[in-house]
Amino acid sequence: MSTIVLGAVAYDAKVVPIWEGIRAHFREVGVPMDFCLFSNYERQVEALLAGHVDVAWDTPLAHVRVRRRTGGASQSLGMRDTDRDFRAKVVVRKDAGVRTLADLHGRTLAVGSRDSTQARILPLHFLAQAGVDLARVRVLPFDTDLGKHGDTGTSELDVLAALRDGRAQAGAVGDLVWVTEQAAGRVDPARLEVLWTTPAFDHCMFDALPSFPQDRARAFWGALDAMKWDDPRHRRLLELEGLRRWVAPREEGYASLVAALDAQGGW
Amino acid sequence: MSEAPASGRGARGAAGSASAGAVAVDVGDLPLGGGALAVLRPALALLAPGGVLSVRSTSSGFSEDFASWCRAERHDDLGAETGPDGATTHRVARGADGVARGPREDGMRLPRRDGALLAADVLAAVPFPARADPGSGFAPRGAQVEPGGPAYPVDLVERDRVAPPETARLYDQAVAAQWDAARDVPWDRVGALPPALERAVGQTMTFLAENELSALWVPAKFLPRVHPAYAEVAMLLGITLADEARHIDVFLKRARAGGGGLGVSHVTTSRSLLSLLEQEDFTEAMFLLSVLGEGTFLDLLRYVETHAPDEATAVLVARARADETRHVHFGLAHVRHALAHDSTLYGRLEAAVRRRAATMGDAGVPPAVQDALTVLAARGTEPRAVARGHEAFRALLHEMHENRMKRLVHAGFTPEQAQTLSDLHTPNFM
Repeated sequence: MSTIVLGAVAYDAKVVPIWEGIRAHFREVGVPMDFCLFSNYERQVEALLAGHVDVAWDTPLAHVRVRRRTGGASQSLGMRDTDRDFRAKVVVRKDAGVRTLADLHGRTLAVGSRDSTQARILPLHFLAQAGVDLARVRVLPFDTDLGKHGDTGTSELDVLAALRDGRAQAGAVGDLVWVTEQAAGRVDPARLEVLWTTPAFDHCMFDALPSFPQDRARAFWGALDAMKWDDPRHRRLLELEGLRRWVAPREEGYASLVAALDAQGGW
Repeated sequence: MSEAPASGRGARGAAGSASAGAVAVDVGDLPLGGGALAVLRPALALLAPGGVLSVRSTSSGFSEDFASWCRAERHDDLGAETGPDGATTHRVARGADGVARGPREDGMRLPRRDGALLAADVLAAVPFPARADPGSGFAPRGAQVEPGGPAYPVDLVERDRVAPPETARLYDQAVAAQWDAARDVPWDRVGALPPALERAVGQTMTFLAENELSALWVPAKFLPRVHPAYAEVAMLLGITLADEARHIDVFLKRARAGGGGLGVSHVTTSRSLLSLLEQEDFTEAMFLLSVLGEGTFLDLLRYVETHAPDEATAVLVARARADETRHVHFGLAHVRHALAHDSTLYGRLEAAVRRRAATMGDAGVPPAVQDALTVLAARGTEPRAVARGHEAFRALLHEMHENRMKRLVHAGFTPEQAQTLSDLHTPNFM
């Protein structure tokens, strides 16, 4: 089998050891794979569509763009267990008197980067759907690490910092950042609490073009599926990439993002 | 749903059981990130995968956070009900990942013996495993081990090759017998000796220290190769190293306390000790060092103690001999245990002794050491006394052979095997 070339975005230094480790694992199970690193998801999507890479490890925003650009014919190869049923949280300061979503009117809502699905695009979309008039909310954006689609989490930490120091009364973050920050003791529970949780949506996906051969797609999935949390050779890689196991793809978890991009003109 | 404990918070239910039972906790008004995790995580850890935990909370934000936390940690959120008192009860099934292996030590209470807790009782309660998994790393024996940890570079992973049952008892004895090289020797009782006798003391102490340096370096080499499941072996080796350090210390102090200073280090001794240091097999090294070498060393120490020219020398050598006796016991226990479980071991040990003898050739005790031991027993250089000293030295060589035979038989060898091994043993004592 010829080498599968995978694209990934270098959103952090750890991306190199992650993919070097996964490449070694793929080779061990007889699936030759190599990777290219991109500085942003826009460049990666173009490279996939041009056939420069076989598979792209895409954020939800990059994934739905690939789906649209291929007329829905692209192949989805797999995702992390953590990519399913993602949610965003609207966190508020306890002293701000925000008890209901309607109380957000006239307040400042901190949000993450404009290409972050969990900290900006979907929270604003779901809030609007729930009846919040965004024109009456002062949105405080943190457009950090644009092109990384929120992968770095920096803009979400900026949102929490703005809540902490009072620049905002409310803020939107992904649920994983929220519970991770709490479990690490970095959230003062006397000061912040969750006002609202969005409906669930799905996150990252391995994308391939319609022309990617079926046998190679099956081999790619087989190699992913062979990675085990309890195996010391795989454990560190899975920890770094933020999953316990790879799971089969599904498309229904992206419908809300497609609707949000349509409504926001975000394509 | 069980009622909350008197404290209002805490776990009750199937504590102590790893079965998929049910446990209930009440986290009161604690937020998830404000203490609730410290109550519910340990309660979940008591359950097997699939076991259900009920979590009662009166915190307003808890429900939102708990569902996200369950997702992040791969536990199954089974839903929640709000009671008439406004409190919400969540039910969660423990996920299957990262479940620590092995039983919990619930209910373990070590016996006290005159108020003391002994390592031997720890070992009796938590025995050495027949084989140890390098993936358990530095996890103390008896701890539950989360799977997926890295493999450690340890290769002494079989009980029968590394950990005789006497280990913990010898460790207890060793700890109780520690002494202070600076204060527990009557250093004000170093005699004013004639120069020739003092030089003989210096040469003897140089030889003893040189041998003890090897006894510090050789076991140290194996210590990091011992699997931590056999920690008592490493702990005993650690105390043994401290013993050797103290011996080196007192031997060198004695040589320098009376005006004689150190003597000469000889090539014969150096070559002999290098052949010990080059051993790569733990059992072979323990046999050569502790059974043959230190066993013979005991006889040499007794000789120096018997003929000690002053009280300081007699005391320090007697103290060293008491320590060395323990080292020999461990060596004997190790070899006896290994011989009983490995029918090929005798052949390997004999081969190791033969290899070593071949590299040593006919070299015997270095002449300067022979002379020093003779003058020591003669208490000087008066000719008739030297004749007695010479006889004493010859008697020492005979006694070493006799005792070596006894030790070898005690270690589990046949009399014929013992004779072969003793004859082959280096005449350089160690």
